[in-house]
Amino acid sequence: MSWTLLDRCCDKCMHSPENPCPDYIECRLSGPLCHDDERCRELRRRRLEELRYGERGAKIKVPVTSCALAAGADAVYRAVKDAVEKMDFEATITISGCYGLDFIDPWVELAAKEMPTAIYASVKPGDIPRILEEYFIKRDVSGAFALKERMGTASGEDKVPLLSELSFWAKQYRWVSRNCGVVNPESLEEYVASGGYGGLSRALKIGPEKVIDEIQRSGLKGRGGAGFPTGLKWKFTRQQAATPKYVIANAHEGDPSVFVNRLLAESDPFRIIEGLTIAGYAIGANKGYVFVGAEKPLMAERLRKAVEEAKRYGFLGRNILASGFDFGVEVVLSAGAYVSGEETAIIAAIEGKRAWPRQRPPYPSERGLWGKPTVINNVETLAHAATIMAEGAEKFAAVGTEKTKGTKMFCVTGAVKRVGVYEVPIGTSIRVLVEELAGGAPESVRIKAVHVGDPAGGCIPVNLLDLPLDDEVLQGAGATIGSGGVVVISDKNCIVDVAKFYLSFALAESCGECIPCRVGLRVMYGVLDKITKGEGAEEDLQVLKQVAEVVKSTSLCALGGTAPNPVLSTLRHFMDEYLAHVSEKRCPASVCSALRARAG
Amino acid sequence: MISLVKVKIDGKVVEVEPGTTVLAAAEKAGVEIPRLCVVPGLYEGSSCRLCLVKNPAGRLFPSCNYRVYRDEEFLASTPDLWEMRRVNFELLLKFHRIECWACERKSSCPLVELSKELLVDGIPVCSECPLPPSECLLLKGELCLGMITQSGCNAECLVSGGECWGCRGPITREDILERAFARYRELGFDVKDVISKVEIYWNSAPGFATVKKVAEGVASRG
Repeated sequence: MSWTLLDRCCDKCMHSPENPCPDYIECRLSGPLCHDDERCRELRRRRLEELRYGERGAKIKVPVTSCALAAGADAVYRAVKDAVEKMDFEATITISGCYGLDFIDPWVELAAKEMPTAIYASVKPGDIPRILEEYFIKRDVSGAFALKERMGTASGEDKVPLLSELSFWAKQYRWVSRNCGVVNPESLEEYVASGGYGGLSRALKIGPEKVIDEIQRSGLKGRGGAGFPTGLKWKFTRQQAATPKYVIANAHEGDPSVFVNRLLAESDPFRIIEGLTIAGYAIGANKGYVFVGAEKPLMAERLRKAVEEAKRYGFLGRNILASGFDFGVEVVLSAGAYVSGEETAIIAAIEGKRAWPRQRPPYPSERGLWGKPTVINNVETLAHAATIMAEGAEKFAAVGTEKTKGTKMFCVTGAVKRVGVYEVPIGTSIRVLVEELAGGAPESVRIKAVHVGDPAGGCIPVNLLDLPLDDEVLQGAGATIGSGGVVVISDKNCIVDVAKFYLSFALAESCGECIPCRVGLRVMYGVLDKITKGEGAEEDLQVLKQVAEVVKSTSLCALGGTAPNPVLSTLRHFMDEYLAHVSEKRCPASVCSALRARAG
Repeated sequence: MISLVKVKIDGKVVEVEPGTTVLAAAEKAGVEIPRLCVVPGLYEGSSCRLCLVKNPAGRLFPSCNYRVYRDEEFLASTPDLWEMRRVNFELLLKFHRIECWACERKSSCPLVELSKELLVDGIPVCSECPLPPSECLLLKGELCLGMITQSGCNAECLVSGGECWGCRGPITREDILERAFARYRELGFDVKDVISKVEIYWNSAPGFATVKKVAEGVASRG
């Protein structure tokens, strides 16, 4: 294997994981720092170019993530391999993460020296030989979906738009997802080449107090749904006298239509591990856990590989970058129930108990894993923390709203043209996300509502689409950003049916520990079922509302505390549709089959 | 010497050791808080959600496992708290197989006690009957209406040696009625006799239609 960026450049470099150099990271990109040698500089320059264009000046990138694989990326990968062999033509084939643009899956990205990098969308295995020939031999990019830059060297360049000019890219603010789709998620070298581990390197130099200070200054809040200020959480935990302390990365994304964390972990896992390491350093922990659902094997695999690689190069282990800080990470698989992503349930699961939540307080920051102070952060939050440490709090806080800074990745699904994951500043309007980024509704339907926040969130009617994606405002309208799930509901969907769907999910996932959630959700589901079967009465709506409110306020954990939101928000904004079901025995969207016949 | 903390519950102040649960403090203050699941030291998982209290800011805490470490104030008896308890208790009863006539717990049953406290209907007179299941009047061939009658009278008639005549009105939950009528039949009673006995009192009672419907259903099963 040839020299990689992570190797020593010459005998003068003394770095090794056993004998680490504090400036290792900085030295990779702008080195050598401890000695001056043009050959060593040249080595780095050449390697960076190789990473971009491959060792032989031609590079083919195929996304290998759950969403791309679902669209057939594995067949495309094989086709690329076959084609390259048959064409007797030398190119480096690598895997990559996903841009989050699921509507172009599976795609391939081709790069060559003195050629604009081109993305080909929705490719089929059969198209591969033709695409490769056009790009690499004929130097024609006219069949591409988008170009990363214009160079005037290939034919057909002016016929293809630049990625950065396309609305779904231009309107994004790719801060934490910057590497998604760009780097090979299994290569630590590519992560470092993209600026990775700069955050940890800086954190280790400024000390834990200043790290917490910086995170507090950035205004970062938890991205898992609850929105608790991250810096404050770290500070509380650091202040606890009890030791040892622990950090846990919550990679257990259980929401039915959200794949933000999965995309991030499958496309840029090192950022999460880096963030976890920074969190551990800040609070004084030496052990971290990544808690990931067993139903997402590729995500777990990527995180595990990332931990192994980081260990191999001394980013985990003893005396990290000569700072005296020791840190180890273990990837723990969950059994996969939705409720096991609740923080106290995660603790129970890691301790080997049944993964169900317990009453807080005491909060994990006080009494968490093994009864010790513990920080639990969502993986997106940790990735943000790593990026903030590298780029600085001010840059992060430059976007967002007065009270909530920065960006959030949103997963837009449902009745839109461009299903995908988009990262936008907090406070961007729902309309921009749904219409400009996700392309609005397909021609045959109209948008009726947007469900924000998945099972924990609520339905926002179409006339309120200009509301900003900001919890301060959304909560007033009965929704929440939650984990970032945005489901667009069209006029072909029945709102009662939608509420029933979300409720059926929560009902199935309720752990049964407390009465309101275990029984209340069942009773609510029974009422909705009656209504969709045309057997509902107006009094039922009163019962529904009353039980929903009690479940919301008295449940033990956030599952029951938020599960009634879809019902309450639809009752609030779509009462007419409920009334059509119970009083007129009519389903306006013609979805409820028992009622459709009578709609006349 | 540990310094005590002051806990104010419904206006009454007590001093307790830090780490005491609100429930224990309330007991000391003489404030009654309903609860079902807690067994101090054994189970404090706050599953029943009946013992919820709130602080003046309106935040809810389960009193069984929320421990006080500093001076704090709680409200335990506001109308909204009682309403939440009532709804949750009703939810709990909904999936409880009510069969008081065959149950050994009878008057020592916390559900029966709570149903009186929370004014929740749906528990039959059998729950208050002084006779153990083995001496049930039905076994002696006497047509007692306890199984299908709303409790709350402390089973006056049974205490004084007679049978229940159903004067407090019918139980309306169909699953209880189903089991009750099935038992009447099992013990050799004619369902029609049961109905004609209650007709005197229940003819205009809300829920009588349900009783008749269930009775007919059971009778038609041959």
